[in-house]
Amino acid sequence: MLSTANQGSQPMAAVDPNSMEERSRDDVSQGHAPVIAGHYSWPASAAPVTVSWNYGVNSGPLENATTSSSVHNYDPLRDSTASEGAQVTMNSLPQTSASSNLAATNGSQAYAGYAQHSSSTYAYGYGNMQYQSSYYGHPHQASYTSYQQAGTSQNSGASYQPHSSFQNTSSYATPTSYSGTYFASDHQTTAGYPTSGYFDQNNYWNDGSGGGYPLQYANYPSSGSAVAGIAPTTTYPVQSANAGSLYASNQPPPPGTTSWRGDLGLSTLPSPQARNDVASRFPHGGWDEKAFTVQNYHINQIPSDLQKASDSKLSLYENHDGSEKITCSYDPNSSLQVFSTGQVSQNPQQPLQTVSTMDACRVSKMQIPTNPRIASSLTVGMPKVDKETSTANASAKPAYISVQVPKLSNQLSSSDDADAVIKGAFPPSVRAYVERCFSRCKDDAQRTSNKLILSEIIAKAKDDGTLWTKNWDMEPLFPLPNSNSSGADQNILQSTVPSMPKFSSRRSKSRWEPVAEERLDLKDAPVNNDSTKNVSWAERMAGSQMLNTMDDGRNSMKYPLQSLLSKTPQRPLKKSRFSDTLDITENGNSSSDSDKEQELTKHYSSAITLENSPEERKRREHRSKRFEKGQEKQADVKQFKPKGAGVASIYLRRANALMLAKNSDDQCREVEDIYWDALTVKGTCQDVEKRYLRLTSAPDPATVRPEEVLERALHMVQTCQKNYLYKCDQLKSIRQDLTVQRIQNELTVKVYETHGRLALEAGDLPEFNQCQSQLKRLYADGIKGCQMEFSAYNLLCVILHSNNKRDLLSSMNSLSIEAKQDEAVKHALAVHSAVSSGNYVLFFRLYRAASSLITSLMDLHVEKMRFEAMKCISKSYRPTVPVSYIANVLGFSASAQTGVDDENGANGLEECEEWLKAHGAVLVAENNAELQVDTKASSSTLYMPEPEDAVAHGDANLAVDDFLARTS
Amino acid sequence: MAYVSMGEAHRRITDFLGRFSDSIASQDGAALRSLLAVSSNSSLLLSLADALNIFQDWARLVKQADRNSQQLGEILVPHLRCIQSFRIGRFVEAYVAFEKSANAFLQEFRNWETAWAVEAVYMVAHEIRVLAELADKELSSMGKNPEKLQGAGSFLMKVFGSLAGKGPKRVGALYVTCQLFKVYFKLGTVHLCRSVIRSIETAKIFDFEEFPSSDKATYMYYTGRLEVYNENFVAADQKLTYALMHCNSRYEANLRMILKYLIPVKLSIGILPKMTLLEKYNLIEYTNVVKALKSGDLRLLRRALQEHEDQFLRTGVYLVLEKLELQVYQRLVKKIHMIQKQKDPSKAHQIKLDLIVKALKWLQVDMDVDEVECIMAILIYKNLMKGYFAHKSKVVVLSKQDPFPKLKGKPVSS
Repeated sequence: MLSTANQGSQPMAAVDPNSMEERSRDDVSQGHAPVIAGHYSWPASAAPVTVSWNYGVNSGPLENATTSSSVHNYDPLRDSTASEGAQVTMNSLPQTSASSNLAATNGSQAYAGYAQHSSSTYAYGYGNMQYQSSYYGHPHQASYTSYQQAGTSQNSGASYQPHSSFQNTSSYATPTSYSGTYFASDHQTTAGYPTSGYFDQNNYWNDGSGGGYPLQYANYPSSGSAVAGIAPTTTYPVQSANAGSLYASNQPPPPGTTSWRGDLGLSTLPSPQARNDVASRFPHGGWDEKAFTVQNYHINQIPSDLQKASDSKLSLYENHDGSEKITCSYDPNSSLQVFSTGQVSQNPQQPLQTVSTMDACRVSKMQIPTNPRIASSLTVGMPKVDKETSTANASAKPAYISVQVPKLSNQLSSSDDADAVIKGAFPPSVRAYVERCFSRCKDDAQRTSNKLILSEIIAKAKDDGTLWTKNWDMEPLFPLPNSNSSGADQNILQSTVPSMPKFSSRRSKSRWEPVAEERLDLKDAPVNNDSTKNVSWAERMAGSQMLNTMDDGRNSMKYPLQSLLSKTPQRPLKKSRFSDTLDITENGNSSSDSDKEQELTKHYSSAITLENSPEERKRREHRSKRFEKGQEKQADVKQFKPKGAGVASIYLRRANALMLAKNSDDQCREVEDIYWDALTVKGTCQDVEKRYLRLTSAPDPATVRPEEVLERALHMVQTCQKNYLYKCDQLKSIRQDLTVQRIQNELTVKVYETHGRLALEAGDLPEFNQCQSQLKRLYADGIKGCQMEFSAYNLLCVILHSNNKRDLLSSMNSLSIEAKQDEAVKHALAVHSAVSSGNYVLFFRLYRAASSLITSLMDLHVEKMRFEAMKCISKSYRPTVPVSYIANVLGFSASAQTGVDDENGANGLEECEEWLKAHGAVLVAENNAELQVDTKASSSTLYMPEPEDAVAHGDANLAVDDFLARTS
Repeated sequence: MAYVSMGEAHRRITDFLGRFSDSIASQDGAALRSLLAVSSNSSLLLSLADALNIFQDWARLVKQADRNSQQLGEILVPHLRCIQSFRIGRFVEAYVAFEKSANAFLQEFRNWETAWAVEAVYMVAHEIRVLAELADKELSSMGKNPEKLQGAGSFLMKVFGSLAGKGPKRVGALYVTCQLFKVYFKLGTVHLCRSVIRSIETAKIFDFEEFPSSDKATYMYYTGRLEVYNENFVAADQKLTYALMHCNSRYEANLRMILKYLIPVKLSIGILPKMTLLEKYNLIEYTNVVKALKSGDLRLLRRALQEHEDQFLRTGVYLVLEKLELQVYQRLVKKIHMIQKQKDPSKAHQIKLDLIVKALKWLQVDMDVDEVECIMAILIYKNLMKGYFAHKSKVVVLSKQDPFPKLKGKPVSS
């Protein structure tokens, strides 16, 4: 996850592909080495390797597409990252409270554990979601129902309830059938599959009439606003079929979960100080976990064509995430699935000792490289589903919210466990894990592959130093390879092994790149990256989607679906992004076709030669070093856990709420049910002064001021002597802080009123209008303030500055009776009648009598009124009108009737004279007497001069000099 | 609710389903129309609703019927659900179901080549609006955001799209347009009318006169109201007059609605109604306005405006009536002029400002000399009075020929 996040935050779109390539190569090379090792120790060990390679081959053709696609997608996503990234994360995060409830209700420890885990990490949020969905999907109806209840308790419950438990159950209950049908059709294009499954899906959410297949999709959305959610759903059936049995029998899910939590939780929960460390952590956790999961997927692929298809989906999923989240989610799923499916484990258990540490190490390296390939191959398939899933998302999302659980306690326990384990060469938990793995093997081929994979895992763990710290009980079992396919794969592998690198590397790019980057960048990455991670991840997913589109044959299905999806109305932009990511899932389904794999293998063999070059080796080494570093960091992070928890929980809460919001958005309903409280930040900043900066990510509590400080800040602004620009800036930052903390009370009103008045004073109408519209809402909520004053301003604005009769009517209509008694409102209404009848005398009388703020509001209309009046006067008066009278009537002199006498009057007279001259009036002075306007002559010469401060863009307010002059 | 046996319920439901598919099979628009009229409270639908509440598994019957005939389940299931919800007063649910059904129906309708079902579409358009209004009422009573009418508006736009092209269905476009107007006026989003109007008025393929006359009258009424908002009185007069002339005289309520706007429009172009008209259509709120215009009684006008302010603001004619003030001033000066003429014909064309101020004071309108002077200047400026104002002597000098020109159907120049 972290890696993704880091990348997302980094500006470069192009960089990703490159780095990814490197990564992949490294991976490949590493993978290669371990393979050799495997050969030495066990002849049979080749099998797993083969599997992974096959995958790589398959995905090979896709490489180019992926890269390009990812690049394309990047830019748009980036832009959105700032604002939306946060949201995405938030979505993924489950609500802690809800999750705890769920866990309790479910009663299955495994489930609870996962939930906790997920809650701790942001990334995990996704995982959880997936997990939950999958979990519920499983036959255990009881658990499912409980889940629903939890959902209901939450605000958003209503929206997701619709996807009924039946659907999920049906799909999951018959996982085999599902996979069978799906995969049975070699090509995705098969009519039967697409029509029933995909189309139904769309309807499904609305009607609740989904077939088994559609149900899976439904699950997706729930798991994931996050893209991650998608992949897992698809995979479920497969896993359960193959690997599921083992898990069920041997693994107690709960312990495993805890271990995960430990790793993940640490990374996710950074305290402000620890952030850097945490960031670095993230990738690590992700790596370890990934390796495992990836292998699982590989295995799955081997067994049968069907499985492959499913695997590909899964791997895709992983790739995109490149983050721990996915893996986590998977693990739980697999274990859960095992329970549900209840498959019999045939394999004998093999002791742990067989695996030598050395071998293990190499193996572990291998694993890493393989992962990327797999992932890349997986990416191919998915495009179709996405949109559908997105639709589903809205309803489904609530699901994960409910799931989320508090993590801290579990994490701590896990670390404790790890310490305890350290006694023996191999911790008993590891042994148990191995036993579990072997217990599910049905024949020798499986066993050998199993062995190989296990050795890799353990070696890797040792390598990483996680052998003792990892909670093996929680470790997910990797999927078992099918004996038949594995044999075939092995052959391929052997032939291909030497040349492997190229293709695999390409594929892996999408997935691995981010990870590598993370490592490097982690130290510097700010906490904020968390939010961005998700986004980048989504981007990647989108990229994979592009790939999918490129494969015409496979994707023929997808087009109809997409068009369908595109039709769905009212989806905001953000959602469309999601839908893109979701598409990947679809592709994954389609990509599994056997034809393609063959093609890929061809490609692959040609590319293999590159693999053993010295460069490659170097890269591999470099890479392995990086891993070590990452691990150290992880260790550091653990210490910071507790502090981070608070922050994390805030994010979680917010994420949840956002997710909810999004869900409800999607559905265009229940918007009012969003649990906004969860989004609220509680500020801790004590600075009275703060510059306004537009938020581009979720607000950081450390930079948000709490209410008391804001009050002082407001006072400071009110009393300070600085210019409007400064005050405006300060007020905007106060408003921002109020908004993110959702403070809506007298203080808020006061701030907006203050700002509104200042804006009026400075003639800053746009800013004033903002304040005005906020105030309207606040007043409507019953918060006290100077409502009359501002409704007068509002009236004046409508009267003087917008020529919209309907607006005027409605704002006049909305005046209450007591408002009409208010002096300011009365004044405004009088201004209205003066303007509408053209009564300039009345207008300027009102102008003089007005308070200074209203004067400044009316100022903007004075010129127009004067000119209109002069036209009137010059037409209706004969023969002359004294200038003094005009000056008096048109408001040039400050004091009403006696203006001519005092100094002000004299000034006004001069000013009036100037004005008249400027507007083309003809002035005459008879016999040394008063200056007069010759009305008849003037009536044809009056004109409206170009305003001196006119600017090309029409808004004099934007002229810098003028603005500075006014505001300073 | 009267007791209905299971069998009876079953019979009613199947009967309804049979009628529905028959009406489509025989392309009987009128029959179909009556089956869609959810809010009409027709006895058929009421009894059906009771039956639906008794026979909970009616969806199965629909499915069965569906198997035998055309694929009408998409329409019928939500439609029946709507009837059921409507009966028990759950209008939000009824609306949601109806919208679903209407969408499916519209889908079918698009495939029908001829316009036989246009009447049914009318009913759908009408029902969805009525149901949306009811649903919004329910929503706002629950403190939720009433948004269904907006949804109905966008659905109606879809219907409009399916009708507005070439071909025989175009005849129905105006009806839907009128429903859209109703929605938009209610929502206060009249600016959305513009696009619909444009497509009605610019389409050359179809002569406006060929639309049904009731639709034409309704259309003219709404477009006339729009012109009132824009203070485009000549056009408003023309459209509202058209609506009045084409409105069926039996529908007094409709005539009254038209007159509510037409009278202020006519007033502002100088045409006063007879008092009998106001009485006949119960438009007494205008009586004092008209009286004030006739007598030049400014106080009366202001009082009348104040008295009915809420109503005038709601209907949107307040601003129009407000502008009548100048005409009242004109009348007042004219009266003074006439009296002066009787007294001393030679000096009749010179009216001292003091006199006017005194007259206004007598009307309890407190205005000082400057202000009255300004009013006189405006009267001259706006061509309500011919002459000039002599500032030095504070006298209005009137033209000897036609000093108070009549508006004669033209608005006051601005």
